Parts: sequence; C-alpha cells; structure tokens
Amino acid sequence: MKSAPAEVVASLSHVPGVAAAMVVGSADGLIVETSAMKGGAAGGPDTRKHTAALAAYLYSKVSRASHAARLGTPSFMRLEAERGHICVVGADDVVLVTIVTPEANVGRVRLDMMHAAGEKS
Amino acid sequence: MTDPKVVEPWVAAPLKRLAEDARLISGVLLHPSGRAVGQFGFSNAADVMSICALTSAINASSRELGRQLHGKPFYEMHHAGGDRQVFMARCMAGAQEFLFVGVFDRESSLGLVEIYFAEFQKALEQLRPHAPEPAKPLPAGDFEGELNRSLDSLFGRIG
Repeated sequence: MKSAPAEVVASLSHVPGVAAAMVVGSADGLIVETSAMKGGAAGGPDTRKHTAALAAYLYSKVSRASHAARLGTPSFMRLEAERGHICVVGADDVVLVTIVTPEANVGRVRLDMMHAAGEKS
Repeated sequence: MTDPKVVEPWVAAPLKRLAEDARLISGVLLHPSGRAVGQFGFSNAADVMSICALTSAINASSRELGRQLHGKPFYEMHHAGGDRQVFMARCMAGAQEFLFVGVFDRESSLGLVEIYFAEFQKALEQLRPHAPEPAKPLPAGDFEGELNRSLDSLFGRIG
C-alpha cells in the first residue's frame, strides 16, 4: 500500500456508496484505521470491529482456497448480501475492507480499492 | 472438539461456543484466586494447575502494573508467539469475576478472539445463576487446596 492508512480510508470513504472503509491487520484482524459508519442507525451497535475481524479472516481463507486451486493470490473479494456488499483487497500486511450499499457502483469501488492497494486493476 | 470440562455446569455452553467460534486450541476459565471453573483442550490436570496458578499471578501483576503506569488496572493481555498466541482477559457475571486464558494459532486471529470473547461475556452475564450457592468456607490462604479441589472436579481425583 503506497499511501498512509488514514489517507486510504479518507479517500475510499468518499467513494459513492461506501458506508465505511477500513484498513485492517491481515494477521490479527484488528482495525488500523477506519472511517465513520455512514447511514448507521443512531445509537445502534457499531459493527465495524466485527466486520473487520471476520472479513480479514474470510480473506485469509479465500487466499488459501485460491492458492489450493493454483490460482495465486486473490486480488479482489466481494461478498454480496441482502443489504449490500463487503469488499476486500489485500495489500501486504493489511487488507482494505469496505462496506458498500446495494446501490453503489461496485466497479468504481473495486477500481479505487485496487488503486489504493497499489495494484493494477 | 471435545466438550469443555466444567466445575460449574452453566459455563459449559458459552465455553464450548467460544472455543468453536474463536477457533481456540485450548482455554481455561478460572476464578481470580486460581480455582478452575472450566477448561477445554487439556488432558493433564498438572497443566491446568500450572496455568491457573500462572494466570492468577499474571492477572495480579498486570493489574498492579496498570495501576502504576496508567492509573487503572489492565484487564486484557495478548502475547503473540511464533506459532501460538495467548489471550488473557477478565470477565464479569454479575458481581462474580472470572479470568479466561485461551490459546490460538494462525487458524484464528486476535480480532476474532476479541469479538467472540465479548459475546462469551454477554452469555455468562445472561446465564449466571441469580441465587448462587453460598461458597463453602475455606481456610484463609488455602490456594493449593482450592486448586486441587477444582482440578479433582475437572479431571477426577488422582490417587
């Protein structure tokens, strides 16, 4: 990752449809830097810590599956759910995680995450 | 994973769920005095006895260290070893305090352990007996005796 975590988070959180952007330790699943959660219910539970830990864990398992299938390191992971998406991109010792609304342009989110991770899209 | 062995049956389900969700290799729930309440992943009573004694001592030391350095006690500790990592924290069930120590490897992560430990704490709080049995009077400072009694409950009496 070329930029500082705070810059990456600030940049990704401004992409339309991104509800939260986080830089997460890939080994420990702990948040390094995060944006505020947009559109979250006022006073509702903050799920970013859970999302960060589970997304990092899931990405590590997806990486193992990808290597097992001799496909190499995954460049982009998108989990599509009922009310949005979780996108993950690996970048050295961290993973970039975004929580994205269903209306978002996922292609734009992917491009910006790949760019932030310093990879070619 | 085999079911946890417990002295107090109400901790069995939360302990099992914590072990499975957080992918822990082994773990011990104990009172701050060093008396074991439940364990999983161990087959040797001597190992659990050592872990209880050490955890109790580490907890006392880290609390005091926290007070000295930070003005308030530390309640959570993590050690990242080469292959295995240790997570140690306190949890409350009503007024009753417990300590938990768990071991995990690369199949889990500190982030995962922390979030499932938070759920474990909530489960303990919900399931705790509201009218606990009065504690049996023990001779003051009977640390070894207390350890042995809880280990007998977990592994059966030896000898």
